[in-house]
Amino acid sequence: MLALAAAAYVVAAWMVAPGFYDGFGPPQQYNWTCPPPQAGANNKPSSGHLVIKVVQGESDANSAFTDDGQIVIGFLPGAFVLDGKTSITVDVKPLGTCPQPSGIVFVTNVYDVTADATLDSHPAKSANLVLRYSNLKPDPTTIYAASDPNGPWTALPRSQPGQPFTIQTRTTTLGYFAAGYSASNPPANAVTIGGGQMLPIIVAVLIVVVVLAGLPLAVGQRRANQGKGGGKRARRR
Amino acid sequence: MIAAAAVRPAILRAAGLALMVVALEWARAVAAQQPGLAVAALVAGGVALAIPALMFPADRLGLGTSRLGLRLLGGVAIGAVLLLPAAVRPAAVPQISGGLAMAAVVVSIGEELAFRGALYAALEEVGGAPLAVLGSTVLWTLAHVLSHPAEFLGAVAAAGLLLALWRWACKDLVGPILGHVIADLAL
Repeated sequence: MLALAAAAYVVAAWMVAPGFYDGFGPPQQYNWTCPPPQAGANNKPSSGHLVIKVVQGESDANSAFTDDGQIVIGFLPGAFVLDGKTSITVDVKPLGTCPQPSGIVFVTNVYDVTADATLDSHPAKSANLVLRYSNLKPDPTTIYAASDPNGPWTALPRSQPGQPFTIQTRTTTLGYFAAGYSASNPPANAVTIGGGQMLPIIVAVLIVVVVLAGLPLAVGQRRANQGKGGGKRARRR
Repeated sequence: MIAAAAVRPAILRAAGLALMVVALEWARAVAAQQPGLAVAALVAGGVALAIPALMFPADRLGLGTSRLGLRLLGGVAIGAVLLLPAAVRPAAVPQISGGLAMAAVVVSIGEELAFRGALYAALEEVGGAPLAVLGSTVLWTLAHVLSHPAEFLGAVAAAGLLLALWRWACKDLVGPILGHVIADLAL
């Protein structure tokens, strides 16, 4: 039964990304455009669409987000230059490719955020941008922006951690966004444990140890119990 | 009649323990989602989960030093099984920070004392080993509903079943504690 349970566990755990123990990971699995090898089953990232009303001559406050919640961009009242418009349409789409600009390591998908009006460039009207990331890669330190996915990519200032497994910043322009870190300065807080070439071999050996350790222990305990039972019976006689 | 009277408090105790342990796990999961509270919530939750174990003597929890070498060896082996799906995949290197690693040890011990220790003992008193194994596994899975994405709950349940079966087959909690700590630390 132990062996069956171990096999059932291995099959069940194989179907999801590793790193799920005790909720240390993000509350939701990350949907990758280009999943890393250890990601397991993967859903494609989703898009988002928002129509912002114009109320009393200025765009209303609202947030655009993808259905999987991996990117949220919040707009303050009057965040857009209206130019006679009666509503503003915002679209958020994951880029279908995964650019790898020189000197930057992205740990999230790249998202294209567009609107049919321009954002007000005044810093007080800046939009709040939140990107969720996965526990399968090191934590990002910066949100990067670009007007073209091929670059150049610019680090947005004031990037900071938000809720667990999110990073946020403010922006006065729309375009392409992704979170990552400088290749020359990887985050120091991520400790990598596990993996490696030797680990599968060690694990295989240790699985054999389950049988070697578990069987004598189980047999020993049951013999001890039988001994106790026998003793009781003998005393009753 | 005497037996029925004795069973009733046992049922109440098991039900109370089940409610308490699941509520503690849910509270821990919610608190851990607040910015800056993750490590504190995990440590406090882990310590709180260990408290129900104080209701039972060590041998009823499966704790003891007899055949300690085999128990420890079994714990390492359980950890290896729990790590297997991650370890055999290429470049499987999930990340865990130093603070979370410390919290992982506390939570692992607390969860084992609560689920395979106190809850298992209370359920065994009510319905024997089958209820103890299945009941602790179901409650373990239910307790992780708020902290884990839905697609992970199958693996969580399977891990709970494996640990509960070890507890039953070997009458041992040292192995599950060690295996759980190893798995949490490495992932």
